[in-house]
Amino acid sequence: MAPKTIGARMTGRANSIIPSSIIIVGGGASGVVLAAHLLKSPNPDLRVSLVEKRPHFGQGMAYSTLLSAHVLNVSALGMSAYADDPGNFSRWLLERGLATPEQAPVYAPRSVYARYLKELLDELEAREQQTGRLRLIREESLSISPTASGVEVALANGTSVVAHLAVLATGHDEEPGAGQGHAIRMGSEADSALDPEARVLVLGTGLSMVDAFLSLEQRGHRGAIVAVSRRGLLPSPHRKGNPIKLDVADIPLGTQLSYFVGWFRDLIRENQKAGIDWRDVVDGLRPFNQKIWQNWPSSAKRRFVEHTKAWWDIHRHRMAPQVYARVTEAVQAGRIRLVAGRIVDIAAGYTVEVQSRHTQRLERFDVARIYDCTGIARDISTTSNSMVRSLVDRGLARPDPLRLGLDVTADCEVIAGDGTVSAKILAVGPLTRGTFFEIDAIPDIRVQCARLSKRLLG
Amino acid sequence: MLTKKGKYGLKALVHLARLPVGQLAFVNDIATGNNIPKKFLDAILGELRNAGFVQSRKGKEGGYRLARPADEIKVGHVVRVLDGPLAPIPCASRTQYQRCEDCNEATCQVRHLMLEVRQAIAEVLDQRSLAEMRDIAGDEDLSVPLKIQA
Repeated sequence: MAPKTIGARMTGRANSIIPSSIIIVGGGASGVVLAAHLLKSPNPDLRVSLVEKRPHFGQGMAYSTLLSAHVLNVSALGMSAYADDPGNFSRWLLERGLATPEQAPVYAPRSVYARYLKELLDELEAREQQTGRLRLIREESLSISPTASGVEVALANGTSVVAHLAVLATGHDEEPGAGQGHAIRMGSEADSALDPEARVLVLGTGLSMVDAFLSLEQRGHRGAIVAVSRRGLLPSPHRKGNPIKLDVADIPLGTQLSYFVGWFRDLIRENQKAGIDWRDVVDGLRPFNQKIWQNWPSSAKRRFVEHTKAWWDIHRHRMAPQVYARVTEAVQAGRIRLVAGRIVDIAAGYTVEVQSRHTQRLERFDVARIYDCTGIARDISTTSNSMVRSLVDRGLARPDPLRLGLDVTADCEVIAGDGTVSAKILAVGPLTRGTFFEIDAIPDIRVQCARLSKRLLG
Repeated sequence: MLTKKGKYGLKALVHLARLPVGQLAFVNDIATGNNIPKKFLDAILGELRNAGFVQSRKGKEGGYRLARPADEIKVGHVVRVLDGPLAPIPCASRTQYQRCEDCNEATCQVRHLMLEVRQAIAEVLDQRSLAEMRDIAGDEDLSVPLKIQA
């Protein structure tokens, strides 16, 4: 239990020593949001080092797209970097004439959001120039190692940074998952010029497939798009609404999955009878999603991931109405074909054999390219992030029981291979999916960062 | 408000939590040991089984046991399943809301305070596991059979 004692001391629970130097590994959206929350502390001794391998901070994978059709999947009110100031991003948009007050809800282009995070970081950098509390490091992190007094992060240029603790904010995987065969990521180097009439296949029918479709349209691609997933379900569109009000006292916690799903279906049905849109019920549950997840027995979590998540995702992770209109039009016109089934075989060329989920029949598609749009969740043990892998290999971290991410405590502390809780290595964002469940989007990440900052710095 | 159903359900679960892991208990033993009407207990155990807190086995050797370790099941989880949303009075619930005939819920101060009270109830009951409840009850329960003997 020794590490836990250090944690108590450093977080000021036992006495007043507070960790004053923190390295954030990963300067994408989660890293910037965490830095912004940490720097709200008045502590003059605080030192925050933000390490990012890309040339630009605040973009990561999600916000590096330049395509204006790639809009945020969450309206502006959900996208403020600050948990306690939800209007921050909306005001920023209004001040720059990028939105008008009548326009709400606004689904801004992701490149605009990257600019917002960049400006926010620029401001912080300017403000902290005198204090020296913020250091931006444009370099790749190779590994994290605990030392007697804290941690050391080795960088690709041969130097290293030391601090009391490090927070992993490395976000999503950059490479397609193993076993996706010939599939490539859209926009990667392998995504070379393509005959505009060629038929392409997309693995996945969710929001990433929609992004791929928009990119292909932008490039002037005219060939058909075959999109394959287990269920072939397309995400729903947003609609302006008002989430219902729930308290934790209303929600059954810790039950079997079927019991919970029954309760939730009844709740939607009752609300629909009263003329309330199902979206308002789904969104009303959102503040409690992490609590619900954390209280489920592991059998319920497993069942949810296997059977219910696909349904949940299309209702919960929706797209802007204007994007939905474009996609459904393309589906109706036959430009996109949604297939519920499973890939049986991929032969050179490519000839892809798909077995239908409903009829079990085999169908062959000749396609010029296969795009991996299977989404962001994947088995952490197959991660392409070498730093995360090395933490696991050295026993400093372990996958969570469902292998959705790293095993962390509810306080974001990374749990080592032998089960001890680290006070020096923490994680935020998608890496903590196993414990926090929905932690891919800004509305959830900003709350996680606010809580962590408060716990670390008071 | 904890109903009789909620109270009996918790007593039955504490009974099961006292048994060695995996051992089954007869419904009759739970009923007589805790002074619960047997028919009522059958219904309660059925609901607890649907929610995934207990498992049953049929037949001569049949009975009930906890489906999960007693320290994983929180008291608040059980009460919501048996009694519905945690609420000190029926109007202080968002999903099972029952309007009071004699007051206006928008301006009723009592309701507003009770909405706050239910948060506090949830906080206490969601922190405490069956195992903890079993261990608090331990001392007092021992005195019961002693009194009977005396």
